[in-house]
Amino acid sequence: MLLHRLVAVSPMLLCACFCLVSFPPNLLQLLLPRVSYLPVVTDKVKKHFLKVMRPEDVEEMWFEYEGTPLKWHYPIGVLFDLHASNTVLPWNITVHFKNFPDQDLLHCPSNSIVEAHFMSSIKEADSLKHKSQVVNDMQKKDHKQLWMGLQNDKFDQFWAMNRKLMEYPTEDGGFRYIPFRIYQTLSDRPFIQKLFRPVSPDCNAHTLGDLLKEMYPDALTNDGEQKRYQVLIHGIEPLLETPLQWLSEHLSHPDNFLHICVVPVPTD
Amino acid sequence: MWFSVCVSLILSDMSCSVLDEQQFRQGCQLLLQRSDQLGDGWSWEAVQGSEEGYLRKTARRSVPSDWGPLHDQEGFSFHPQTLCDSTGHEKEEQDPAASTGSDFLSAEEQDDGSYTVTDSSSRVVQYEYHILFSCSYGAPVLYFRAFTLEGKSLALEEMWSTIHPNYRLRLQNCPLSAISQQEHPLLGQPFFFLHPCRTEEFMGLVLQAVQDQGRPVNYVLSWLSVVGPVVGLDVPLQYCTPLHSAVSLNSTKPD
Repeated sequence: MLLHRLVAVSPMLLCACFCLVSFPPNLLQLLLPRVSYLPVVTDKVKKHFLKVMRPEDVEEMWFEYEGTPLKWHYPIGVLFDLHASNTVLPWNITVHFKNFPDQDLLHCPSNSIVEAHFMSSIKEADSLKHKSQVVNDMQKKDHKQLWMGLQNDKFDQFWAMNRKLMEYPTEDGGFRYIPFRIYQTLSDRPFIQKLFRPVSPDCNAHTLGDLLKEMYPDALTNDGEQKRYQVLIHGIEPLLETPLQWLSEHLSHPDNFLHICVVPVPTD
Repeated sequence: MWFSVCVSLILSDMSCSVLDEQQFRQGCQLLLQRSDQLGDGWSWEAVQGSEEGYLRKTARRSVPSDWGPLHDQEGFSFHPQTLCDSTGHEKEEQDPAASTGSDFLSAEEQDDGSYTVTDSSSRVVQYEYHILFSCSYGAPVLYFRAFTLEGKSLALEEMWSTIHPNYRLRLQNCPLSAISQQEHPLLGQPFFFLHPCRTEEFMGLVLQAVQDQGRPVNYVLSWLSVVGPVVGLDVPLQYCTPLHSAVSLNSTKPD
């Protein structure tokens, strides 16, 4: 499969972001997993910089790239694709311990808040896919297993539960609706999220191109036009003919959503 | 006449307790019409160039600074008082010292002659409420945020302290309905919201009860009357009175 070949060639591209966290004049190099969240993977950052700070100067930690506060509740890979997909690696972000921008960012006093957001996304995705039947049939410990699998980077532990969320009745041909979010860089609106079925009324599989045509037609290039936008999932540009159901099963984030970033093609 | 025609449109579509976006918009428009008649302050904010949008309202509340148990030592029960009417004018009889936290109790006569006692060591909070549609849950969702009069936004713990203790208990027992921070899906800013995953459940019961009586129902209005009071948003009974006897919330006599 195309996906596996890509993974073999450049696992870092698909799986991780090479990142430089600066707290001037200090620097810390990190390899951050694309599918995780900033607060989960940056304990090291806090501990590292706390050594050079007085306790009274330490308030809630937050990150920023070129003046833009980074939304911790978005997967790291999405943040990278949105803000820095065509910049030279490493991705240079700045950490702050003061002046939390509470008009821009959600508070994150502990990892349990990240867990709550993650589980909320999983539940919302299942509401779309299965009218919440699968997630509601799971026990509390099963939900916990999903979170722990992500937090501790345990692929098998996570997928033992997640595979249930990827099932569907064969006769349906796919999920009820596809959980997706389309992020744009040039809009006040944070993302586009609407109802969209994986299969058309005449039983044809909808593709990524079909989704964009319905939700964000500007992202597509018409014949004879120059390409203006890249459509990125996990940092790669899947073919527009790829069936949406397949993308949802294989390229969703652990939160069960397809996070699609539409960014302008670099001009240089 | 038109009012009742639109309402019966909503009624006939209510085969289940899940809403679609068109029904949501219809419900909002009806609520908006009524709000305009009553002077209740709701407005429709459209997403530019589309039919999408949300209902919005701001309101001020006076909240006791220290909202402890339901009854204090003297046996009075505290209720949030709306300091301002919906046009933003402060009620003249309200003691101006009340919002600065001076230590005395003031009694305010209500229209029906009863008294409500307020503890004047309370603070004034400015609320902003948004009603959006969640396509994932097929339900309306209430987003809200609050500020002090100085413009400082309330954090989650402070928000909890403005919730009546009775509601607080109920919410704490049911974490899925709890209040949490969330990114506003259209504006991108942090808001608080009431999680919509249980809405279908309780609305199913509400709709069944109303439809059994053969009464018309506005899903959005019914939903709001359940969730609104939890976060200090009153839904006056006048919303349900028929068109011909419409009264403004400000007047005590019918037109």
